[in-house]
Amino acid sequence: MEKVLEVKDLAVSFKTFFGEVEAVRKISFDVGKKETVAIVGESGCGKSVTANSIMQLLPMPPAFYKGGQILFNGEDIVTKTEKEMQKIRGNKISMVFQDPMTSLNPTMRIGKQIVEGLIKHQHLSREEAQKKAIEMLELVAVPQPEKRAKQFPHEFSGGMRQRVMIALAMVSNPQLLIADEPTTALDVTVQAQILELMKALQDKLDMSIILITHDLGIVADMSDKVIVMYAGQILEQGLTDEIFKNPKHPYTRKLLASVPRLDMDRNESLHSIEGTPPDLYIPPKGCSFYDRCDKAMKICKDNMPEAENFSKTHYSCCWLNHPMAKDVAEGREA
Amino acid sequence: MVQPIISARNIKKHFDVSGGILKAVDGISFDIYPGETLGLVGESGCGKSTAGRTIIRLYEPTEGELYFNGKNIYELPRHEMQEVRRDFQMIFQDPYASLNPRMTVEEIVAEPLDIHKVYRNQKEKHEKVIELLELVGLNEEHANRFPHEFSGGQRQRVGIARALALNPKFIVCDEPISALDVSIQAQVVNLLEDLQKRLGLTYLFIAHDLSMVRYISDRVGVMYLGHMMELAKSEELYDNPIHPYTKALLSSIPIPDPEIQRSRKRIMLEGDVPSPINPKECCRFVERCPYAVGRCHETTPEFREITEGHSVACHRADEIVAGTAKPTK
Repeated sequence: MEKVLEVKDLAVSFKTFFGEVEAVRKISFDVGKKETVAIVGESGCGKSVTANSIMQLLPMPPAFYKGGQILFNGEDIVTKTEKEMQKIRGNKISMVFQDPMTSLNPTMRIGKQIVEGLIKHQHLSREEAQKKAIEMLELVAVPQPEKRAKQFPHEFSGGMRQRVMIALAMVSNPQLLIADEPTTALDVTVQAQILELMKALQDKLDMSIILITHDLGIVADMSDKVIVMYAGQILEQGLTDEIFKNPKHPYTRKLLASVPRLDMDRNESLHSIEGTPPDLYIPPKGCSFYDRCDKAMKICKDNMPEAENFSKTHYSCCWLNHPMAKDVAEGREA
Repeated sequence: MVQPIISARNIKKHFDVSGGILKAVDGISFDIYPGETLGLVGESGCGKSTAGRTIIRLYEPTEGELYFNGKNIYELPRHEMQEVRRDFQMIFQDPYASLNPRMTVEEIVAEPLDIHKVYRNQKEKHEKVIELLELVGLNEEHANRFPHEFSGGQRQRVGIARALALNPKFIVCDEPISALDVSIQAQVVNLLEDLQKRLGLTYLFIAHDLSMVRYISDRVGVMYLGHMMELAKSEELYDNPIHPYTKALLSSIPIPDPEIQRSRKRIMLEGDVPSPINPKECCRFVERCPYAVGRCHETTPEFREITEGHSVACHRADEIVAGTAKPTK
């Protein structure tokens, strides 16, 4: 498959008063054309930092790239200047944020906000842009687009605002859409509408999607490939079916077992993951999940596990994958 | 037969707002039995949180009766109400906003004990606080810390300890886990279930996460725009939903299994939840309902028992159960 985005050994840190926070620690993945890649993980695991560093939206300082490359169509984004970046951002790569209430300008009419982007990015005349803006609202199924374009964000409901956000992201036919928790602020029936809309637009425009979410149901529904992040690292990566049917990392397994499912037996108990993620001021030397893992071994504490491949597309970083670890796979041995 | 601990009858809570009357809760009735968990679900703005708060009289009701152990608490004068309040507690959604940042954990948990003057000396009170902290999985070390030193899950534990301080019988849990991470949610839910078993608590569990509600509740009520649409045992509601709204709601929750998810058919609802200000007196769901017919626009359907323990407010419920109802859209 043709690769749109390749992230290689990306490391991003923040300099703070208390020291350096290693938010993203050497992650690698790629996104193919028309592919949807989901990044899952708890808050603070680095998923949003990853997304924002692809867009170069992190405030620098305090943030800085510590190493690695982000290749978009083969070109490294990390080394681009702000001016070069402006041609890519919102043009070839677009982003939809979690909260549609705060990401629109409350003092500007909806139509004008879209027109602005069109004039800036596509150098259309105002008249052409106005026509195109209405087409965009139609594309994302906002009813009565002519009337709606003249309204302000507060006159829109949450779901409608998120449609506008998607319309804004779509104006330039981006190759890559980064959706950071696009439906978290929405109700489930509206969420269903937005997810369907994103799928339809992806088909129509041949675009790739990076979907950041903590909802495993949405992942199962939308994604081709899943990346499981924890404490700034990728613990497991694979095709959606591989991750859900054959999870290899104890964290992935626990994550899947900790959410109640509509189709599960009520008498089954929920498996909670005790404890909290590690402090990234002093990232652990060994496996970052060591403290919370009930299968942890001595080696896990001080030695970072290598990635073990199970198929061309599926790998996980865990010492249990080591051929010698088979007999201790059950029960804690530390 | 077991007597219900809570009987809500035709509870209404209206707010005067510019532009009319906002009917947040508009006549809901149900019973909660001792030791059970009643789940209340619905989308934002459906009135589920207002219902929870009106039930324990944090909001003065506009109309209705609420019987707690046979007494209508809405008629009680202030001092008697304060006595009853000991038996009701609430756990809030946001563990960041519901704890006073300038009080230590010990002061927070001891506040209800002070207000109700339960303990005469400091030592007894301190012991009770430690006992409560241990009950929710914290310990003595935590007592002198401030809320900002805790993670979201731990803060929610502090909130639970405070709610348990007066040995309540009934707790309203208003979205207690929606601000927490997935792995922490399971910790808190397991704690709530464990406490229920050990202390014989009764819960009203309000949430928008339908899979979690199904997991924790014995019975579940579905609300839409201030009305109760359907109420049934949890398995029954999820296996055999009758109301078109419940059906659509359930079908729109993605299941974390790619194979099942691919083969599922979604019932897509059009539009958003309409405004609860001056709603028309008819079925509240009529504008989005795929089964709406003429009478749905004219009268409000009665909330009635269709099969044993399964109540629905829908004019076409019988047709839907019989399988003869045809969609009109």
